[in-house]
Amino acid sequence: MFRSRSWFGGPWGGRPKNRLSLEHLKYLYSILEKNTTVSESNRGLLVESLRCIAEILIWGDQHDSLVFDFFLEKNMLSYFLHIMRQKSGGSSFVCVQLLQTLNILFENIRNETSLYYLLSNNHVNSIMVHKFDFSDEDVMGYYILFLKTLSLKLNTHTIHFFYNEHTNDFPLYTEAIKFFNHPESMVRIAVRTISLNVYKVQNDSMLRFIRDKTAAPYFSNLVWFIGKHILELDTCVRTDIDHQSNQKLSNLVAEHLDHLHYLSDILLLDIKDLNAVLTEHLLHKLFVPLYIFSLTPAPPPPSLAVVTQNLAAVLNRNVDIDIQEMHNPRVSSIVALYLLSLVFLVVTHAPLVHALAWVILNGDHSVFKEGAAEILNSYVEHREVVVPGFGEPHESLEQALDTVIGHTQSTSASSGTDAVSEDSGVESTPATSASPINRHIETVAEAAATRLRNITDEEKQRLQQTTSTTAQQGYAELAKPFLDTVLQALDCTENDYLALLSLCLIYAMSHNRGMKNEWFEQVLSKSMHGSFSYRTALIEHLLNIITMSSQPACRIRLITVEIALELLLTFTKSAADEAPCITSTQQGLLFGARNQSMVVLRNFYKSEDIFLDLFEDEYNEMRKAQLNVEFLCMDSTILLPPTGTPLTGIGFTRRLPCGEVEKARRAIRVYFLLRRTCQKFLNEKESLLPLTNVVNLVQVDNVLDLNNSDLIACTVVSKDNAKQRRFLVIDALQLILVEPDAKLLGWGVAKFVGFLQDVEVQGDKDDSRCLHITVHRGGVTHNRTPLLSAKFLFDDHIRCMAAKQRLTKGRSKARQKKMYQIAQLIEIPGQMDSPLYPVGGTSSHSGGNTRLVQRGGLTANRVPGFAAVLRSNNSAGVSRTQMAQNRSLEGLRNEGGGRSRRRSPITGASSPSSLRPDNLDRDRSPSMSGGSHSSSQSRENSQARSSGNRSREGSPRMPRPRSEEIPLEDFQHSRNNSPHSRSSVLGNPSPSSRSHTPSRMLHYDQISVHSASPREPSLLIGGTNALLSPLNGGVAIAREVLPVQSSEETSFIGNDGDGATENRRKGRGTIETV
Amino acid sequence: MSYAYLFKYIIIGDTGVGKSCLLLQFTDKRFQPVHDLTIGVEFGARMITIDGKQIKLQIWDTAGQEAFRSITRSYYRGAAGALLVYDITRRETFNHLTTWLEDARQHSNSNMVIMLIGNKSDLDSRREVKKEEGEAFAREHGLVFMETSARTAANVEEAFINTAKEIYEKIQEGVFDINNEANGIKIGQQATPTNPALPGSGGAGGAANSGCC
Repeated sequence: MFRSRSWFGGPWGGRPKNRLSLEHLKYLYSILEKNTTVSESNRGLLVESLRCIAEILIWGDQHDSLVFDFFLEKNMLSYFLHIMRQKSGGSSFVCVQLLQTLNILFENIRNETSLYYLLSNNHVNSIMVHKFDFSDEDVMGYYILFLKTLSLKLNTHTIHFFYNEHTNDFPLYTEAIKFFNHPESMVRIAVRTISLNVYKVQNDSMLRFIRDKTAAPYFSNLVWFIGKHILELDTCVRTDIDHQSNQKLSNLVAEHLDHLHYLSDILLLDIKDLNAVLTEHLLHKLFVPLYIFSLTPAPPPPSLAVVTQNLAAVLNRNVDIDIQEMHNPRVSSIVALYLLSLVFLVVTHAPLVHALAWVILNGDHSVFKEGAAEILNSYVEHREVVVPGFGEPHESLEQALDTVIGHTQSTSASSGTDAVSEDSGVESTPATSASPINRHIETVAEAAATRLRNITDEEKQRLQQTTSTTAQQGYAELAKPFLDTVLQALDCTENDYLALLSLCLIYAMSHNRGMKNEWFEQVLSKSMHGSFSYRTALIEHLLNIITMSSQPACRIRLITVEIALELLLTFTKSAADEAPCITSTQQGLLFGARNQSMVVLRNFYKSEDIFLDLFEDEYNEMRKAQLNVEFLCMDSTILLPPTGTPLTGIGFTRRLPCGEVEKARRAIRVYFLLRRTCQKFLNEKESLLPLTNVVNLVQVDNVLDLNNSDLIACTVVSKDNAKQRRFLVIDALQLILVEPDAKLLGWGVAKFVGFLQDVEVQGDKDDSRCLHITVHRGGVTHNRTPLLSAKFLFDDHIRCMAAKQRLTKGRSKARQKKMYQIAQLIEIPGQMDSPLYPVGGTSSHSGGNTRLVQRGGLTANRVPGFAAVLRSNNSAGVSRTQMAQNRSLEGLRNEGGGRSRRRSPITGASSPSSLRPDNLDRDRSPSMSGGSHSSSQSRENSQARSSGNRSREGSPRMPRPRSEEIPLEDFQHSRNNSPHSRSSVLGNPSPSSRSHTPSRMLHYDQISVHSASPREPSLLIGGTNALLSPLNGGVAIAREVLPVQSSEETSFIGNDGDGATENRRKGRGTIETV
Repeated sequence: MSYAYLFKYIIIGDTGVGKSCLLLQFTDKRFQPVHDLTIGVEFGARMITIDGKQIKLQIWDTAGQEAFRSITRSYYRGAAGALLVYDITRRETFNHLTTWLEDARQHSNSNMVIMLIGNKSDLDSRREVKKEEGEAFAREHGLVFMETSARTAANVEEAFINTAKEIYEKIQEGVFDINNEANGIKIGQQATPTNPALPGSGGAGGAANSGCC
């Protein structure tokens, strides 16, 4: 390769100075002329000359047309041919250069006339048929690239240079496809490209040649090649139970997909005749005899001799049909289901998918002899029947092509070359498998075809019945053995290994674009399986999977559940109206499964932060990941037995859960999936999820009315030391950094928003005015870069502490609220003694620690014993009325049935978080003012003591019903109660009162109001403490019915613990409760 | 010619960015770049030496194979390295990089080394894509970046050889399964069973040892 240029110093001398000129070409020509024989001594010179010729020709093509004229005039291509035909002198060395020159020539030439001239004298075809030394990788590479380059030049004009109609010669195509199974993948790819480029050319006579002379040999060999590959894949699956050779398997699968896509690309070119041949071969040489055959149960060995027979012997043919069928190669049913799924996912050619689906749905054992004749006849007018059977073609492609090309009058190829590989199953056909005489087989096959065409459907049916009963006594009772196998595979008692693949197949069949949508379903509905239809049987199977998946510790993967649910929707969909048609029993099963999944999920409901993160993560995941069965089926790991360990690298939904956290995730996801499906059946829209109502959130750049809001001024110092002056606003759910609005006094522009639940606050050891605040992106994994990570510098320590506490409280409150929403969602029952009891659990954990110390009297609320005392002390009588009312509400709720129950929390959920930019002043509730008030705290405090109650209730504007923010139920409920409780429902500081009282004061007032209010204790108990004595169900119901109140209550308790005011609080707490 | 390894490369990118010229420039130095001549070829091979080992680079251009889905998907999978080329004088070729990269990532094996090449760096006066933009894109997607000129041969050697070095390192680390030809790596004929086992297992073993002691 690294040849010196010194060859030019040789005896010929006189080399023109200008490398790129006609003169130089003339000079090079003289070299070719003088060195017609390649020898060791002139090899280098020739190579360099050939290289230079390429250079000059391209230069000439772009600059000087005389160059090309000279090349053609001297017929220099013939010199090329002459050189390459010599065996001496290390010709592969020269050949590489020759092929490179040709490649450069054909790739870079722009002038179309030059191209035509180059192609016109048939030298190119002679070069193509030359037998190069293909064992040399470089020769092979340049050669196949040469063919590929030429194939890219093919069009209706140039086709005649390559395909000779009279001599039936098409070396570009026939030479290329000989390499279809070359070990080098790049070569195989090039072959596929060339063949597709050839088929693409719209030339009838060329296509006729392809079909008549090459299609059958090529396709039968291709199919056999694919089949062998599948046997290898099957071996890999059988031996690799431990996921050891994952990479090998995934390569085999990817390779098979390449094949399938290639076949699909051919079929998509929509060349009728070619497709008919290809369909016939695929169906009867691969799909039916290997895939479908593998769906039949392996027959019991009739004798010990059979049992001991070697697998290799399987390929040998036997005259006895039964025995032979027994010995046909088969793959495991896993692989068979998988391969069939792939076919339906990739191929859309109607006759092929229709026929294959027909075989699966209606076929019986007779199909192994007759094929899917019935369907194919309806698509193709003059079928050339290929007899089913999986086996090696008798001739290699090369031999076959040589025969075909050699004897132009040879027979119809489709039956000619491969019918010999199997006995033909039609009765009249002698089962002489070894007969190589094309003509004989051809006539037989023709006859069979004619027969098949001429008989009516009924006759055919009868024919099939007779064959199936006579030939297949053992299976006679199974009318649809393949469909039965597919349905049986759905059984998940042991695990979902087979079921997933069976679901994939059903999904792929029902979603294939090549088949008419209803056809599949109609066939299923009409065909009877015992007393009911297959469709019913399928639905039962699906429901079975779904029911099982809702059980704890089941062995069904999430992806299986998802596909099963999807299919359930598909097969219960009625054409006419929107709502799926399903019997009440079936619906009962589905909803039972949902409820069961809810029960399972309740066991995972925990007060820990991670549960909420998991819950929201899973919801987002589920929404993001659309079910894509095609992607799923590209994953070779579904061919291996299901496993639990993430060490395999298998995605979470495609394996079993590993460890408690993943079990929780799974329970959450199963619940979501079932909930979603149930809603589709009810024609309902999801209204409770996601937990955060995005509509109510403040977005960056929103302009907010911050009058009467609590603002804490601070300087945000980012990691790169950039400083920004901002005001910190803490909403029910969000942390907002605002910048004053330039135009409107008291308004601000949100510059940053983050969820309080994802806030992490840390003090600074060295600077008491400083906080390190990180706002994470949410979710369980914190490894992503946080939304914000910065140092916040406040004016003084007090403000800093205030901010810290409000952020900490805000975080836990936001989380409590969501936990409460979840509790509502999964209808956590009112088992008061349950340690899993929702909100109480969280609230007593979070923040409780700090509060308890400082609380003094109010601490009693947190301790079960005290609380109980508190309750009875305060208002035993009232609480009885409360209970009565709850009961009535319960009745109401039950009347409303399932729907209304689900609806009720909607309103509840939306109300507490309803900070909207426009009504910020009214319903946002930053519980504590910034540090600016701190100087006058004590004075205000004393004022508040005296005026608190009055200022709230006496306010003329206060009772204005804000129905749009308050859930109707709650509102009504509160009206039924004392005014005190109403004020507690309305909750947060009203604008009027706030206008003349610092908000901090108000909170004290509220606390006092709450504590004094008759129903307060029960609410407090219900809302905040799970460990209360399980007095009766009434309390529990109160909690369920009044989610908002109680959550509001919790938030008040959160408020009251705030900041610098804790000390004074002690005293008040005792006073209030007394 | 004998070699220890053969690495298969593919070149991807819009048409006209100079893929085949880069290829020819690298594989056949005898074609000296001339101002008024553009020559390219879509296949080539060349021997290089890394770490004292003969390594053959075999480069396949994808030209003309984009029309069929089956071709593109299989094409990527068989390669150990990919050069993703754009033309610094044509903004749109840079804009299409994301699509190319998505395709490559979707179909290739995850270990494939991808190098981003901004070609035609000699045409600085007509530059539409800044070098920094290329660098930023490469950083964002974890690619190695280089600006080259097939015309002046600037950085062409480096682009191919650096990619090879990275593949070689991955082999040493045991990331590539070298016994699996579908990864685009082939062990040379002369390198009989002992030889191929050495670099892979030796490298891994060495690492393990140092970790233990």
